[in-house]
Amino acid sequence: MRRRAQESVIMNNRQKKNKIKLSGSDITFYVIAYFFVGTAAVICVLPFLLIVSGSFTDNGMVMREGYSLLPKVFSLDAYATIFRNPASILQAYKMTIYYTVMGTATGLFVTTLTAYVLSRKEFKYRNVVSFLLYFTTIFGGGMIPWYLLYANVLHLKGTTFVIWFPGITGTFLIILMRTFISGSVPDAITESAKIDGAGQFTVFWRIVLPVLKPGLATVGLFLALGYWNDWYRSSLFSTSSSTYELQFYLSNMLNSTTALKDLAIGTTATIADLPTQSVKMAMAVVVTGPVLLFYPFVQKYFVSGITIGAVKG
Amino acid sequence: MNEANRKPAWGGKLEQRKFGRKASVLLTAGISAALLFLSLPFFDWIHLRNISALFGKLGISRETASTLYQSYSVFSLLSFVRNSGIGALGLYSMILLLLLAGVWYLHIVYIWRALHNRFQDSDGKSELRLYVFGKAAMLLTILLIIGSYGFVLYANRFFGMTGFGASPLLAVEFVGALAAYLVIKKLEAAERIRCHEHGLVKEFRKNWVLFLMLLPVGVFFLVNSYLPMVGIYFAFVNFNFTDGLWASPFVGLKNFEFLFQSQMGRLIRNTVLYNVVFILLGNVLQIFFAVLVSQMTLKWFKKVGQTLIFMPYFVSFVLLKVIVYSLLEYQCGAINNMIRSGGGTPIDFYNTPVYWPFLITLFHMWKSVGYGMVVYLATIMGIDGELYEAAKVDGANIFQRIRYIMLPQLKPTFVILLIYSLGGIMRGNFELFYQTVGNNGLLYEVTDILDTYVYRITIGQPLSIGLGSAAGLFQSIFGFVVVLITNWAIRRKEAEYALF
Repeated sequence: MRRRAQESVIMNNRQKKNKIKLSGSDITFYVIAYFFVGTAAVICVLPFLLIVSGSFTDNGMVMREGYSLLPKVFSLDAYATIFRNPASILQAYKMTIYYTVMGTATGLFVTTLTAYVLSRKEFKYRNVVSFLLYFTTIFGGGMIPWYLLYANVLHLKGTTFVIWFPGITGTFLIILMRTFISGSVPDAITESAKIDGAGQFTVFWRIVLPVLKPGLATVGLFLALGYWNDWYRSSLFSTSSSTYELQFYLSNMLNSTTALKDLAIGTTATIADLPTQSVKMAMAVVVTGPVLLFYPFVQKYFVSGITIGAVKG
Repeated sequence: MNEANRKPAWGGKLEQRKFGRKASVLLTAGISAALLFLSLPFFDWIHLRNISALFGKLGISRETASTLYQSYSVFSLLSFVRNSGIGALGLYSMILLLLLAGVWYLHIVYIWRALHNRFQDSDGKSELRLYVFGKAAMLLTILLIIGSYGFVLYANRFFGMTGFGASPLLAVEFVGALAAYLVIKKLEAAERIRCHEHGLVKEFRKNWVLFLMLLPVGVFFLVNSYLPMVGIYFAFVNFNFTDGLWASPFVGLKNFEFLFQSQMGRLIRNTVLYNVVFILLGNVLQIFFAVLVSQMTLKWFKKVGQTLIFMPYFVSFVLLKVIVYSLLEYQCGAINNMIRSGGGTPIDFYNTPVYWPFLITLFHMWKSVGYGMVVYLATIMGIDGELYEAAKVDGANIFQRIRYIMLPQLKPTFVILLIYSLGGIMRGNFELFYQTVGNNGLLYEVTDILDTYVYRITIGQPLSIGLGSAAGLFQSIFGFVVVLITNWAIRRKEAEYALF
């Protein structure tokens, strides 16, 4: 009798569990999931906090006690140092915005045109063209011939053109855009437009482009992010600091203040005069700030881009 | 007997046409085979007429002279150029050699297809494709022959004498290739009419707007990707400033020999090992987090978690450099800060190579797991929800659902990502290594990869251009071959996963 009562209690419990649909293995899974995802999220954020906190910490404090997650002695010295003499960083900002705008605008134009042609079924050579694009991703001449072509054959070293031109498009972006086009413009619509007498360019301009906004946003953001984060083309092609990209400016500054600090150690003990450590962090904040500010709002475009790219392979 | 039964007697116009086509294709395939045969290494295309005068001009010593032949095929031409050390001739003969490789490939494909073609009128466009190959093979052969005549003229002008002469073989080949070309062209024209297909010219006239729209991207890829391929030649020269890029002495494979004797072992080991770890660990972590995130029920946690894990992808590698610095610096880095406050002795990371393989792997994961997670999440979203429901009804718990439903569906994505990454196994993540390690020579033993090596040469050692290009070419060819092999293997086993 007693045993039966126990069994019925157990049954009851089971039924309860079934009601809220959490079995033992579910609970185990959720514990694992929340723990690991939570930990990973924290690990991903901590370095950013370290930098922001470093930029607001008094430099002497950093030198004595090192970087920490919360500023031990709050100070705005680092930012004051940067903005006391802002000409060079403003120039780098200006140039980076210029490269980003030029590159993204040209790139969107070129990428969309190409993707449109590749999405046309009546274009007989689209497989040939796709192959030529794909081939560049599996075989290349290497970096030195590429560099020498721009620098020694085309004599573009030192110009602003050579900093944005090599990044305007890529195979991945073209394929991505083609997927967007074939997803948002049914063939029937372009066909009927053509029967009404529209030429290829009219179809592209009047019919495809207006409905392509999500695609343009996604590809445009990929391009813009690439330009904002690039330092490498400046390191190869910039001959004067007036054409530096922002990231290269930061990278350079990291090296040169290290040099400055070493110099100071060799001669006098007044390193504390220059907030060398916190300035580095403040500069990093100033350079990366725009990306992180926009990130929450534009994240969905990147996710949709990657999703569409992944579905297509 | 059987054969005779199947073939109706001649007389039908269609049959006659078929026979004519078959005979002409076999004839041109025969010419193709003959051309192939004549381009074998022991048929010399270029003779040296006035050897002693030429050697005098070249200033070649008697010992070197004894290693030279009296006549050359396209292959052995390179040995002559190498012994004479003249860059421009080296480039010329390299181009001829590449043309020859293309000629061989096209001829072999043409002969193969010609022998296997069934010549059935109902059978789609396979015949057109056969003719395209045939035409291409003949055209390229003609180009190669003209190029060889050009080499003779060029070399003679170069030395200001008449030391070189073309073999009569060349004339024979020229006539053969031209005749075969004309025959195939005629066949193709007839076939086009039958298939209602038109050639490039007509296609261009019809869709010129589309061609025009491809012009910008054509210019871009030509400049950015295809023209630099010509520079592969630098891998075979010993660059010096007086001769310049195109005329520096041709040294054959010496750059590769030198590289493999000196640092190539280290560079390849680092590049490949890091990539293997990145690919395996990276995919495992990406799948792990994608699965966890996809099954979470708290909407806000899911969203915030995904956003934060994805965030490092968006910052530049220069920022990573700042982070690495603020974490690892000896005096004020956060890690040493913690060690000190715990009473331990701080670690001099920037002078201790042991830690770096782990550190670099960690930083790479930090930056790349988010992106891969989104890729896998996309695949998980694409799985039919009814599968889970059915499994749930059948009593599968969440681990079983993941194991038997989700993971198998992730396999195609995993395989495709794997092929992509295998192709790049000789290509390191340059920005990651350069920005975290920089020019810190102390760490090169465990952190120097092919890409950073080539970058240092580009930036600061123009005299080693040959070595750098050789390293880059090695990377390219290796990656290319690996992609071809993996794709071939996958297509044999599971065709739907293959890339092409």
